[in-house]
Amino acid sequence: MSLEVDILRRLGDFTLEARFATDGRLTALFGRSGAGKTTLVNLIAGLLRPERGRIVVDGRVLVDTDRGIHVPKHRRRIGYVFQESRLFPHLTVRQNLLYGRWFTPAAARREELDRVIALLGIGPFLERGPALLSGGERQRVAIGRALLASPRLLLMDEPLASLDEARKSEILPYIERLRDELQVPIVYVSHSIPEVTRLATTMVLLSHGAVAAVGQVAEIMGRVDLFPLTGRYEAGAVLEMRVAAHDERYELTTLKASVGELRVPRIAAAIGAPLRVHIRARDVVLGIAPPEGLSALNVLAGRIAELGPLDGPIVDVRVALDGESLLARVTRLTIDRLALAPGRPVFAIIKSIALDRRSLGKIQPASEKIDVDEITL
Amino acid sequence: MELSSLLNFSPAELTAIRLSLKVALLAVATSLPLGVLVAVILARGRFWGRELLDVLVHLPLILPPVVTGYVLLLLFGRNGPLGRFLADSLGIVFAFRWTGAALASAVMGFPLMVRAIRLSVEAVDRKLEDAAGTLGASPAWVFLSVTLPLVQPGILAGAILGFARSMGEFGATITFVSNIPGETQTLPTAIYVLTQVPGGDAAALRLTVVSVLLSTAALFASEFASRRVARRVVGL
Amino acid sequence: MSENSRLHCRPSPRRRLHWVPFILATALALSTASAAAESRDVLVFAAASLKNALDDVAAQYRHETGKQAIISYGASSALAKQIEAGAPADIFISADLDWMDYLAKQKLIEPKSRKNLLGNALVMVAPKDSRVELEIAPGFPLAELLAGGKLAMGDTSAVPAGKYGKAALENLGVWAAVEHSIAQAENVRAALLLVARKEAPLGIVYRSDAAAEPKVRIVGTFPDDSHPPIVYPAALVAGSTSTAAAAFLAYIESAKARPLFERQGFTVLE
Repeated sequence: MSLEVDILRRLGDFTLEARFATDGRLTALFGRSGAGKTTLVNLIAGLLRPERGRIVVDGRVLVDTDRGIHVPKHRRRIGYVFQESRLFPHLTVRQNLLYGRWFTPAAARREELDRVIALLGIGPFLERGPALLSGGERQRVAIGRALLASPRLLLMDEPLASLDEARKSEILPYIERLRDELQVPIVYVSHSIPEVTRLATTMVLLSHGAVAAVGQVAEIMGRVDLFPLTGRYEAGAVLEMRVAAHDERYELTTLKASVGELRVPRIAAAIGAPLRVHIRARDVVLGIAPPEGLSALNVLAGRIAELGPLDGPIVDVRVALDGESLLARVTRLTIDRLALAPGRPVFAIIKSIALDRRSLGKIQPASEKIDVDEITL
Repeated sequence: MELSSLLNFSPAELTAIRLSLKVALLAVATSLPLGVLVAVILARGRFWGRELLDVLVHLPLILPPVVTGYVLLLLFGRNGPLGRFLADSLGIVFAFRWTGAALASAVMGFPLMVRAIRLSVEAVDRKLEDAAGTLGASPAWVFLSVTLPLVQPGILAGAILGFARSMGEFGATITFVSNIPGETQTLPTAIYVLTQVPGGDAAALRLTVVSVLLSTAALFASEFASRRVARRVVGL
Repeated sequence: MSENSRLHCRPSPRRRLHWVPFILATALALSTASAAAESRDVLVFAAASLKNALDDVAAQYRHETGKQAIISYGASSALAKQIEAGAPADIFISADLDWMDYLAKQKLIEPKSRKNLLGNALVMVAPKDSRVELEIAPGFPLAELLAGGKLAMGDTSAVPAGKYGKAALENLGVWAAVEHSIAQAENVRAALLLVARKEAPLGIVYRSDAAAEPKVRIVGTFPDDSHPPIVYPAALVAGSTSTAAAAFLAYIESAKARPLFERQGFTVLE
């Protein structure tokens, strides 16, 4: 799936002027509140008209203001899962699910009701009215409804924002299955780093109505200059590793990559399963000598690649580890004391329990289909 | 007045009751589709003249009923421009016919009907309509499959209000189609005539009671039905 | 689980069906459209004061011939205007000549069928238990007798009984004194009612009205020469499509109907 966007749209005081191109199974649209994510998605869906611009999905021109093209929303075949589900209250769950299907030409119908129900686990409440469902159940139905219209592209606007943590963990696996088992490309709007790192292959970073960066998740998350946009609290690198072994006795799992090994509390994943791990910069300690007598289990060796701006008390440091990067956040005092400078060998120390479990996402190449249990955390 | 004579409805009285029901049903049935259309236009339309339309629709509510009846007579009477046209080309005659009584009732009840439906239309969440659009429904289908069902409680309330108003319609009716027993002598007119007849009090009282009972029944029906429909529309 | 695949295409709201009985009811009502009206044979527009008498005549006629005459009563003025506006009346019986002339001038009646049917007298009435005593003569103290109350009359500009009454009062020289104390009613029967219900201490109605209402009593009769003669003309309305109309009109004018009119206080004219 390819998506090209180049638009300008004003809404009151706010101006959105975005330009990017992306392909990939799940593209995350990331940014703080007010960055313009929902406006952008509404433009792609056709709920808003740009003042000027072009939107092309899979080579099909949906909007081109120069040529006067604006395909109406009901003909774009773009599914949309809203933040607040928007299920039709006067229809049962089943009727909601089949609503879009009815309008899809028979030849274009790809999804079957049974499969979608099984995928999302919504069988038990097919005949209920939407008002009787919990928030999580409603969102799953909303996802199912959008899927059953056999869309060419699925937009999801912060679908988990209105749910509590438990519900979020419940639904994230379903979205992963969507990404991996169904052929539908997804554009996923979020302001949550864990969701993005877990789900996305590519990422578009929005800030104040403009695109700040586009690229692979790991790469963008590792860029020091983007920290203000990715959120200082959550900023940190993303490493791709594989499950190497399980320690039944101590209930730990060992993850392995070329950069080294990490030990984390037991994960229910098969040996060899690929995982992405998000390591927050603030959870990384730097040392100039191999540590001894510390409680932290995870030590990775590398070199300092670059230092962030040296103003203020806190400095972000990028550590190069055999082709990948890790970010650490230390005080400027530490930089002076340990004489940290680019090129200096250092050890990065990470507490096992600091690893953000929510962000442990499995990424499967499209060709591989591994039968794993859902990751229960 | 003995109870037995109290309950003795004369043929003329029964005719008046039947006629009233018939007139009311026709009035509501014919004005409801137009009422829905106008309510949607007023609720959603953005065009020059919308305020004017709103005022026009509400005129029968604030004008003296006799004035409305007189205007109807001028327009739809045998010699009126619309009356003549309709009689010649479609064979529809309103003047001094029960159809005219229905027209008077429809016109007088229209503002109430439109108000009730418009409230319902304004309460429909546009976001649901957007969602339906993304699922492939054209604007017409969105209206039919999402908007209209959600407006049902309002439509029902409007219909029953129109019905009840019609049962009580007097001023415009008697001015427009006068008072012909069996044709245009509806319940209110019959009661009015009976109050002028020496010894007509018993009959007038009977019909008054019937009138009250019918209106009360209509209100109850409206409450009941409207609550049921509203529950369904909310998704329970 | 395959149940789920057996989907009904249209996600129609379940409530669609509840409109059906409504529509059925309408269709039913419309099909019984021909209420008593269409099965009528003759439609008569008659002055309000004729109510009791003409109802009796129509009932007797129906008993004899099986044909049904529907009568719409009102002030002759209102009825004439309705006929002018196209009301589908077959016969018109007015309480004065003016309104019949009004229609004749517009060629709205069959001139050959016009006949002066009845005569009446003008009386002053009071509530049954009123103690008032008066004698109608030029300059009689009507204003004092009203004692601040209203004199009930038909509308003096249009309703025949009102016009006759005003003419009589003018001729007797008392109109100016009571001109501002008139309670004008929509028709003579409404005026009668005001007196019957004691809303007005005195009223001017026809002798036939006083005969019909037990709750009033006649306190005086206006001399015949104080007002234009009270004549009830009857005629067929032009353009009437009823085949039974002429027959009913003839019946009204016949000897069979005479006693029914006289019983109510009308005089039958030759």
